[in-house]
Amino acid sequence: MIAGTVGAILVAVVVVVAQSYVSPLDRMAAISPADHIRGNPDASVKIVEYFDTECVLCKRSFFMMRDVVDGYGGQVALVFRHFPIPAHPKARKEAEALECADELGGNDAFWKYADRIFEITPSGDKLDPAELPKIARYVGLDMEKFTTCLASGRYGAHVEEDYQNAIATGGKGHPWSIVVGPNGTKYPLSGTQPREAVQQLVDLALKGS
Amino acid sequence: MKALRLVFKNQEYLGLAAVVSAVVFVLATWLPNLQLLWFVWSDASVALADKIILPIRLLGSITTNFTTISASYTVLIALLAGINVSLAVYLMRTRALSGGSALAGLSGIFTGTLGVGCAACGSVLLMSVVGTTAGIGLLGVLPLQGSEFGLIGVALLGYSTYLLAKQIRTPLVC
Repeated sequence: MIAGTVGAILVAVVVVVAQSYVSPLDRMAAISPADHIRGNPDASVKIVEYFDTECVLCKRSFFMMRDVVDGYGGQVALVFRHFPIPAHPKARKEAEALECADELGGNDAFWKYADRIFEITPSGDKLDPAELPKIARYVGLDMEKFTTCLASGRYGAHVEEDYQNAIATGGKGHPWSIVVGPNGTKYPLSGTQPREAVQQLVDLALKGS
Repeated sequence: MKALRLVFKNQEYLGLAAVVSAVVFVLATWLPNLQLLWFVWSDASVALADKIILPIRLLGSITTNFTTISASYTVLIALLAGINVSLAVYLMRTRALSGGSALAGLSGIFTGTLGVGCAACGSVLLMSVVGTTAGIGLLGVLPLQGSEFGLIGVALLGYSTYLLAKQIRTPLVC
């Protein structure tokens, strides 16, 4: 009798806990027009990826994801978010530089800047900060305005928001991605995985499974 | 080397070492994505072929998700873990296993696993043990940014293997 009562209480507790459980992935900040989206903004599948521009694996992943998105002809888009870890102090300023590129030249300038920064950084926090305005000039931005924007630090809070969101969603290392299907299903993907695995996940998301 | 030859001339121990090495290697490559694998395996709408192929494809992350250093020590840890377990089982069957070598072996596997992940970009297990924020902070102050765990793991496993081999070579006395 006592064992039955205890068992029923335990089952009730488990049910309540299970009902109140919120998957960390559901804490992902909603994708909005304010996001940096590469590819079709209305794509069925969106890969939300949290990058650190000084992480060598993020560099590998960036170029691979770019190719994956291009290969799906508008069905898949890449959403860029910031995840600059303290081990790479320069990455935080680089993230702010990307936001300044967006402010001065829009989404197109953001992605040109991202392409260039990943192309030239040796990774491991080794990019010379003097390169940041040079990249701005390279992608056709007003150097003076860019330098003023970067010095203001006005995107520091935004970068921190992305960083905190990466951790809140379960990010434990770089790069951290969430593949979002058309029905809202979210698949977590940690690290730079083989292209075939990423494509398989995208295909699963496209099927709406 | 003599001890290794003695143990591994028996196919059973060679097989055991191969299985343990394979398990450690597979777990090391899957570790960052256990949550994803659970999602896929537990989703009834995912085809069986996808449930099988995805984990196989994730094994390829040894070339995409590891630096040269971290891939090297991950493979070394897997190999040493296999050898270590085989030697330990041999000793248990033939005589007694010393606590010191077993402890060093287990510590080596655990410490090595802490280093799994990109050397510069985070250790999945470390974050799980000490928390993400603390783990990211800790990696930032380590000179090799997390590779230390893998290298210490290799050293501990090497030491444990040495102790086990020495114990196997030592003649029984009464």
